[in-house]
Amino acid sequence: MSEISPSTSRTGVIHDLGYRRYAGRRDGTGTIARTLFITGLRHVYGLGRSGKSKILPFLLLGMSTLPALIVVGVVVLTGLSELPLTYAGYVNQTQLVVSLFAAAQAPVLFSRDLRHRSIVLYLARPLSAPVFALTRWLSLIVSILLFTAIPSVLLFIGALLAGLDVSHQTTSLLKALCLQVLLATMLAGITGLISSVSLRRGFAVVGSVMALIVLAGVVTAVQGISDAQDSDGVGVVAGLFSPWSLHSGLANTWDAGVSVFTPPQGAWVVAYVLVGLLIAAACGLGLVARFRKVGAR
Amino acid sequence: MHDVTGEIIGEVPVIATAGLTKHYGTVHALTDLTVTVGDGVTGLVGANGAGKSTLIKILLGLLEPTGGHASVLGHDIEQASQEIRRLVGYMPEHDCLPPDVSASDFVVHMARMSGLGASSARERAADVLRHVGLEEERYRPMGGYSTGMKQRAKLAQALVHDPRLVFLDEPTNGLDPAARNDMLRLVQRIGGEFGIAVLVTSHLLGELEQVSDHVIVLDGGHLLRSSATRDFLKQTGSLLVEVIGTATERDRLGDALARAGLSCRPRGAMVAVDPPPPELAGEGVAYDVIRDVAAELGLGLMRLQQDRGHLEDVFLDGATRV
Repeated sequence: MSEISPSTSRTGVIHDLGYRRYAGRRDGTGTIARTLFITGLRHVYGLGRSGKSKILPFLLLGMSTLPALIVVGVVVLTGLSELPLTYAGYVNQTQLVVSLFAAAQAPVLFSRDLRHRSIVLYLARPLSAPVFALTRWLSLIVSILLFTAIPSVLLFIGALLAGLDVSHQTTSLLKALCLQVLLATMLAGITGLISSVSLRRGFAVVGSVMALIVLAGVVTAVQGISDAQDSDGVGVVAGLFSPWSLHSGLANTWDAGVSVFTPPQGAWVVAYVLVGLLIAAACGLGLVARFRKVGAR
Repeated sequence: MHDVTGEIIGEVPVIATAGLTKHYGTVHALTDLTVTVGDGVTGLVGANGAGKSTLIKILLGLLEPTGGHASVLGHDIEQASQEIRRLVGYMPEHDCLPPDVSASDFVVHMARMSGLGASSARERAADVLRHVGLEEERYRPMGGYSTGMKQRAKLAQALVHDPRLVFLDEPTNGLDPAARNDMLRLVQRIGGEFGIAVLVTSHLLGELEQVSDHVIVLDGGHLLRSSATRDFLKQTGSLLVEVIGTATERDRLGDALARAGLSCRPRGAMVAVDPPPPELAGEGVAYDVIRDVAAELGLGLMRLQQDRGHLEDVFLDGATRV
């Protein structure tokens, strides 16, 4: 066969089509916000990011679920008539890990865009600063909720496998999940706000750890002392100052299987719920104000 | 109309502002700005702090004006800023790229944030990254990019959702001469071939002379001038003459030309001859006079050309006016 000319031998020729306009569908604000929410949720767990960023969230998730798996194994094998600890009690026991997760992963959603200034690119798009801030907040709330709910659900499955009373277990789980929603909203708000103000990840993590773990420790100490001194009132009031003591105090009073030194009684229960909601709302407003201000710069 | 740029007769202007004002306390970032911008490339010139970025942020709805009105693509900035942000692209002046993400992933994500579906976002991102000239490096984290590559990535995210208007804030900032020319060519293509209206800012007048169809000049938040680029560069009627030698020879020529009836003044090594008086205004008469004067004095003529306006002159004019 004779020589083949270059034009016939090349099949994969790339043609420069020039600039093409986009005439396709453009989603509304709701769909864009949903995309942002899902992306944020994935990013908290390091999905769609570098391999390195998956290590910490999954390590912590492992640390918080491993005890649940052990409990499930023990209950199923030994045929206990009751779970050795309740759903709400489990969350309370793992509060250190949950706090670390919130503190370490909040900067992923709230520091990065501000620190690298890519927030400007988001705000030059349809989503407004308040919608952006609230969507980010929701991503973190759901991430934390998943983090606490996964071990709860595992325990529940174990309880069912062991043939424990279904209605009792279901009530107990639902109570715990309700409390977890309030808890996740507060934790996400506090760590999110701290991360959006201190843009260095290290400072944000330290600040969040102080606000969650150290403060909870102080509150528990005060409650222990006031209980020993027979001045329960002080302990009840102290309980208002940490999301963890609000969570455990409410869990105690609601009979969800947690016991604290100084459980709130009567009107104090309402106060605990209100303060919890207030903390969450204040953090939400703080986040909106913060992102509004950044957008105008 | 003096304040109107672009071919906007019978159409909605791309941008129209009326008495737009932005004050931060005692700092007056923009004062009573009334301009209209049409299709093509419009340059927004001014020194740092002249109000260029402030204007863009107000038009994007990120800043609230202290007073006045503005509309972008027919939408009022106060009532429909979300609709505006759907239709425009924005390339900020400062660094705004997360270092641990690849340009490809980032531009896809930004397309989705503008409302494109997952598959069209990927397709558009690939297209646009090719147009701005990011090839294989698009898959590498942006932290390792050169300034030129970062500027391209920033431009790509501004174009990925096929906007009808892009705001490019100092796109040539920090680029070397070759990259600067590439970027300017790209800006010109966006306004022409791509059919996307461009508002491009720069503090370098020479750049905008090359690429923009129209120029708006801001100074200290005030509008100095807004008109077609060719109006800025039109011939002034003056002549520039240069002879071999030093300032002495230049001044001898100047004196002789003045005696011959041509008013003139030194400009650098050259003599700038004002538009000739009526008796010398005939075709080529002034040239002949200059040639003869130089020959009489025995001076070697090195240059004899028509003087053109420069964008810089606007600032000189403006300074005297303000």
